[in-house]
Amino acid sequence: MRVLTAVIAIAFGLLVLAGYFIPALHEWQTLLLNWAMILAAAAAIVGVFNLISVHGEKIRQREKGNLYSALLIISLVSTFLFGLVQYLTQGAVRVLLDDLMSTLVNGIIFPAEAMLMGLLTVTLLYTAIRLLRRRANLMSIVFLITAALILLGTATLPFGDMPVFSGLRTFITQTLAVGGARGILIGVALGTLTTGLRVLLATDRPYGGK
Amino acid sequence: MVISPELIELITGILSFLITLMILSYLIGDNPLFRIAAYLFTGVSAGYIAVVAWWQVLLPKLVYPLVSGNPMEKAFAAIPLFGVGLILMKIWPRLSKIGNPAMAYLVGVGAAVAIGGGLTGTLFPQIGATINAFDINLVPSDRPLGFVGWILNGGIILLGTVTSLAYFHFGANAKPDGSVKRFILIEILAWVGQIFIAIALGVIFAGVYAAALTAFIERISSLLKFIGLL
Repeated sequence: MRVLTAVIAIAFGLLVLAGYFIPALHEWQTLLLNWAMILAAAAAIVGVFNLISVHGEKIRQREKGNLYSALLIISLVSTFLFGLVQYLTQGAVRVLLDDLMSTLVNGIIFPAEAMLMGLLTVTLLYTAIRLLRRRANLMSIVFLITAALILLGTATLPFGDMPVFSGLRTFITQTLAVGGARGILIGVALGTLTTGLRVLLATDRPYGGK
Repeated sequence: MVISPELIELITGILSFLITLMILSYLIGDNPLFRIAAYLFTGVSAGYIAVVAWWQVLLPKLVYPLVSGNPMEKAFAAIPLFGVGLILMKIWPRLSKIGNPAMAYLVGVGAAVAIGGGLTGTLFPQIGATINAFDINLVPSDRPLGFVGWILNGGIILLGTVTSLAYFHFGANAKPDGSVKRFILIEILAWVGQIFIAIALGVIFAGVYAAALTAFIERISSLLKFIGLL
C-alpha cells in the first residue's frame, strides 16, 4: 500500500506539473484537476461528518460544553438538509427554503464573519502595544512606525490632508515595502517549491505512507 | 406558505443584531454568549460548505455525467467515483487506510499545482519585476528625477529583495569553540534585510487594520441602524 500511494502521488503529480510546460498535456491536466476537485469536495463532506462525529461523541459522553456541541450539530444538520432539498422542491416550498437559506447566510454567516474581522481592530491594537512592551527592538520600532505612518497617510484627518504623510506613504508602499515583500514572496515561493518537490520525490508522504 | 419580504428582512435583521452583539461581547472576555455565536457560526458554515460541495461540484461534475453522460463521460466519471468511495472510507477509523490512495492523489496533484503556481505565479513574475525596475525603456515621462530616480527606485527594491532573502538564510558553520555563526557578509545583509521586512510587515499590518476597522464600523453602524428602526 505504501508503494502504491507513493506511485500514485508521484505519477499524477508529475503529469499535472508537465501540463504547465507541455501544451499537448493541457487537456489531461484539466481532467486530472477536475478529478482532484471532485475528491476535494468529497473530502470536505468527510470533514463535515468528522465534525458531527466528534461533537456527537461529546454529547454522548456528556462532556463539559456539550450544549454548545448540540447547538453546532443542530445548526449544521438543519442548514445541510435545507440546502440539500432546496433545489429539489418547487413553488411555494422552494421560495420558503430560498428565504430560509438567505436568512441563514445574511443573518448568521455574514455578520459573524464581519464582526470577527471587526474584533481584529481591538486585538491588533492590543498586540501592537504589547509588542512595544515585550520586544522594544529595532525591528518592532520600524514595524510600528511604518504602520502608523501608513495609517496617517491613508486616513482622512480632521485638520485636513498632510502632503508629507501621503508622500511618505507612497514612497514606503511603492519602494521600501516592495523590496521587503518581494524578498518574502520569493522566499515563500522557494519554500513551496521545496515542499512540493519533496512530496513529488516521495521524501515527504503526508498521505499516510511513512 | 409564503413569508412576506418585510418579515424575512426583520428576522434577518434580528438574527444579525444578536450575532453581532454576541461576538462583540468577546471584548469583555470569553463568555457563553460568544461561544453560542461561535458554535452556531461554525455549524451553519460547515453545513453551507457541504451544500456547496454537493450542488456545485459533486452533482454537476460527478453525478450528472454518470447518470446522463455518454459512455465516454461515464467511463471518465467512474474513476473519480472510485476515488470518492475510497475517501468516504476515511469516515470510519478502521477503514481509513483504504482512503490513502485517494489522499495520495490529492496530495500529489496539490503539490504539482503548488510548484506550478509558485513558479509561474510568483517566482518568475517577481524576478521579472525586479529586473524590469532597471529597464530604461520603461521610465515614465512624468517620473520625479527621471532616469536617475527610476534607477534609484529599482536599486532600493533590489537591495530590499536581496537582503530580505539573506535574512532567511540560516546556513552557518560551527566554530572550534562550538558556537555557530553565519558568515559576516550574510549577517550584515540580514541586518539590513530585517528593516525591509519590518517595513513590509508594517504596511501589511496597516492594510489589515484598515480593513478590520472598516468591518468594525460597518457592524456598529448596522447595530445603531437596527436600534433606530425599533
